[in-house]
Amino acid sequence: MEKISRREFIKYGAGGLTALVVGSQMDWLENTAEGAVHVQTLNFHITDAIKDMVTHNSLNPAQCYFWIYKEDRFPPECPGPTIFTTQGDVVRVVITNDLDEPHSFFIPGIFNSGPIAPGQTIKKRFVAKKAGTFLYYDNLNAPVNRVMGLHGAFIVMPRAPRPGHNFTPYERPTPQVQMLFDDLGTTTHFPGLSWEQGDDSVTPHTAPFRQYIWLLHQASPRLFRDVGELPSNRIYDRRDFVLEFLNDSFIATSNDNRVTPINDQFNHKPHFFTINGQSGYFSHHNPYISPHQRVGEPVVIRVLNAGLWMHSLHIHANHVYVIAINGRVQSNPIWIDTFDLYPLGTFDWLVPFTRPPEVPNTRGIGFPDPPLTCLANPQIQGSTPHPVWPPLEEINLFIPAVGTRANPADPNSPDISVQLSPLCFPMHDHNEPSQVAQGGNYNLGMIAGINFTGDRTLPGGIITFPKAPLEHPHNETGPAAGHEDH
Amino acid sequence: MSFENPAYHIHRRSVEGHEGHWVKTFDPPQANPPTPELLAPTNPVPGLMLAAGYQDRVTTPNTVQRDLLHGLRLDMWDGRRVEMFVFTDQDNPSTQNGNFPGATIRVPRGTIFHCETMTHGGPHTIHWHGLEPTPINDGVGHCSMELGRYTYQFQPNFIGTYFYHCHRNTVQHFEFGLYGLFIVEPPDAFSGPNWGGYPRRIAGNTSNFPQFPELNTNPLTSGDPQAYTVPYDVEAYWVLQAVDSVWHDIAADHAAFFPGHGTQPGINDIFYHGFFHDYNPDYFFITGVPIPVRAPGPGTIPPNVVIPAALNSGVSGTQVSINAQRNQTILIRCLDAAYGTARVTFPVDVVIIAWDGRALGIPPYGSYNSAYPVKAGTPIKLSVARRFGALIRSSVAVNSFATVEFRKHEADRLLMTARIPFVIS
Repeated sequence: MEKISRREFIKYGAGGLTALVVGSQMDWLENTAEGAVHVQTLNFHITDAIKDMVTHNSLNPAQCYFWIYKEDRFPPECPGPTIFTTQGDVVRVVITNDLDEPHSFFIPGIFNSGPIAPGQTIKKRFVAKKAGTFLYYDNLNAPVNRVMGLHGAFIVMPRAPRPGHNFTPYERPTPQVQMLFDDLGTTTHFPGLSWEQGDDSVTPHTAPFRQYIWLLHQASPRLFRDVGELPSNRIYDRRDFVLEFLNDSFIATSNDNRVTPINDQFNHKPHFFTINGQSGYFSHHNPYISPHQRVGEPVVIRVLNAGLWMHSLHIHANHVYVIAINGRVQSNPIWIDTFDLYPLGTFDWLVPFTRPPEVPNTRGIGFPDPPLTCLANPQIQGSTPHPVWPPLEEINLFIPAVGTRANPADPNSPDISVQLSPLCFPMHDHNEPSQVAQGGNYNLGMIAGINFTGDRTLPGGIITFPKAPLEHPHNETGPAAGHEDH
Repeated sequence: MSFENPAYHIHRRSVEGHEGHWVKTFDPPQANPPTPELLAPTNPVPGLMLAAGYQDRVTTPNTVQRDLLHGLRLDMWDGRRVEMFVFTDQDNPSTQNGNFPGATIRVPRGTIFHCETMTHGGPHTIHWHGLEPTPINDGVGHCSMELGRYTYQFQPNFIGTYFYHCHRNTVQHFEFGLYGLFIVEPPDAFSGPNWGGYPRRIAGNTSNFPQFPELNTNPLTSGDPQAYTVPYDVEAYWVLQAVDSVWHDIAADHAAFFPGHGTQPGINDIFYHGFFHDYNPDYFFITGVPIPVRAPGPGTIPPNVVIPAALNSGVSGTQVSINAQRNQTILIRCLDAAYGTARVTFPVDVVIIAWDGRALGIPPYGSYNSAYPVKAGTPIKLSVARRFGALIRSSVAVNSFATVEFRKHEADRLLMTARIPFVIS
């Protein structure tokens, strides 16, 4: 099994597709070994790109124009790279505006570059004075520049935990959030590890400070194209932009002959919905977006909304604690399965990664009790009574079956069987219009996952399910087929 | 720099070597496996429903039945007829034409719950929102399979308010009506002669609220079936619902815009273009009762609306519009089932005792939070799929309305104001 190296963790890890670590002290990243790259300066160009979206292939161009923060050391992407730093560290930025109108770099309450003229380069420094989850973005001609793609996540970790307590993501956690983090791994209801504890003795290893960033966005190819086609001496009217993005007239777009009339024109509303710039399969099966952990390995998920829609995110398999909303650490952290996020909002979740509680157990009161023992099922070959957790009969299923071909007529086409392991659950926006791409159907939109790769809380010791955890390593991908020209 | 001459081209990633997961994510397989890790079901409710005459048979002992989908042409308040997708229960004649929302499933905590599910006219699933079993019982096609037939199995562990819905083409199948409430009750709720009536009990920690003095504070580990529950006399379901009639008129095929994988996954898959990104609801309901006015209203639902016991797991008297006596304890279960946000405002002070099927303040998992008061006139905000439980007790008479503002998911704009009669006499 592949271990996520320190270098990969920084470059691809911790939830974004790309991440930068700025500053001198990285104690909270220790235990991820080799190749630490301590970046002292962020080198950004404000520029533009055409992006092939989730449904792009040989039959379907599916592209969208964006404005992006391009960091010198990373490939172009929308959003910009996730930036991690430690509270109190100095961050230096060098930003060049390659576009035709003024742009900026803004972190609420921390830094404001002010307008950067076309062709201008600025060099600034600032202190990451508050721990928490922040959006960095271009606040000019609001919200146009931000929604066009000029945004990313800026994560500030506290320098140290409160004396005598476990780490939380905050400098001054409320007593309730501190107690929650202190209880992880030390109580009978939260067996396993604390948040800050990793484990290098197992394969795959368990990183400490497990955290994921979900940066939500909505993309409108027609509107963004209109902005990109504007003559260089003009600025798009921000009121028009908002009206078209939110309230453009309905068009009965359809190339599906079950729905008439055929009309392949889209309106100016968004029709791609992304987490860290990815949709559908590309976010759901990305181990740097969707947690892959054993029972007993709690994680923090920081969620930000760069767009103009409200989302209602529903995570399966575990209720989660809402530990901060818009930077405010909660004094009444409710335990929920769905939570709302407004434009420019943030919230942080603590996912306890307990055994899914509706797995039948001795007392049926939601505690980590011994699992019940199932029957020998005559419909399942070789079935004998055994504990219902870990669910071995389920884990051994392949749906579709081994040998199912993408093209049933071609024995050489790819085998598309899938084993129900690791145990895979979704996280999706229950504002379901965001689950689409190009107005089509479910599962190509704003969706991620939560995957159970084993259990470290069982009496017999730590177990790891088959195929954990990296089923989609970054180094096995290349450009997709299809229209290479925009 | 411009659309015509961008500095960069960001490529989509290849799916080579991962075609199985790629295809399964947007074009889930249909399968009818036997239930793995099979247990004997113990749910007493179907048998009680039969004995009370609400069911005409129990096809499989201790097992709930759900069939989907059933087409239902629903008349709107203004006479417009809209095609809906709904559930039926083959054992329950009151559901034979389908119901909007679907019949409520109530079960005792700790039961081994089985639901035999059969689909018609294309694949479907049932997801049990807020209940958290293994993936094959979670009812999400791309993480397991679509049906076919299957017997879902799980053991509800937390008393509270949930719902079930089809997770196939969710954007369409949920909006078209394939959902219903799912309520987990105390382990002894169906044990005595009063199983179909009131008072009943709900999980909650009301120790900071002396107006609810009958709290049982035995720990969950005591084995007391009423541990950390409070009794209530009156109960209401507020399921906030919305319909975009344009979708129903021109996209009524259950597979509209559904993608399909190609012979070369990642290269020639079929991705339809449609309009499911553009949602503009024009009809609104509270638990199936229409708001009988054009948006933005306000519109008022009738007084004295009561849920039939046959559609409520045999429980009689559950209300929609509130009609209670002074000093009775009232429990409101509210679910936002409309794509958008909502603001619910009560004419009386309430205590929020739970969100999303998790009572606040019950040790050990609720040690970090607590039930909290919300003053009369203060809106409670919620978004799609969120549920809250509110307890109310008034020593004075009330003759007023609760209001529900339906708001748009784009820009949080007011769509419709609904009023629910709220009478305490």
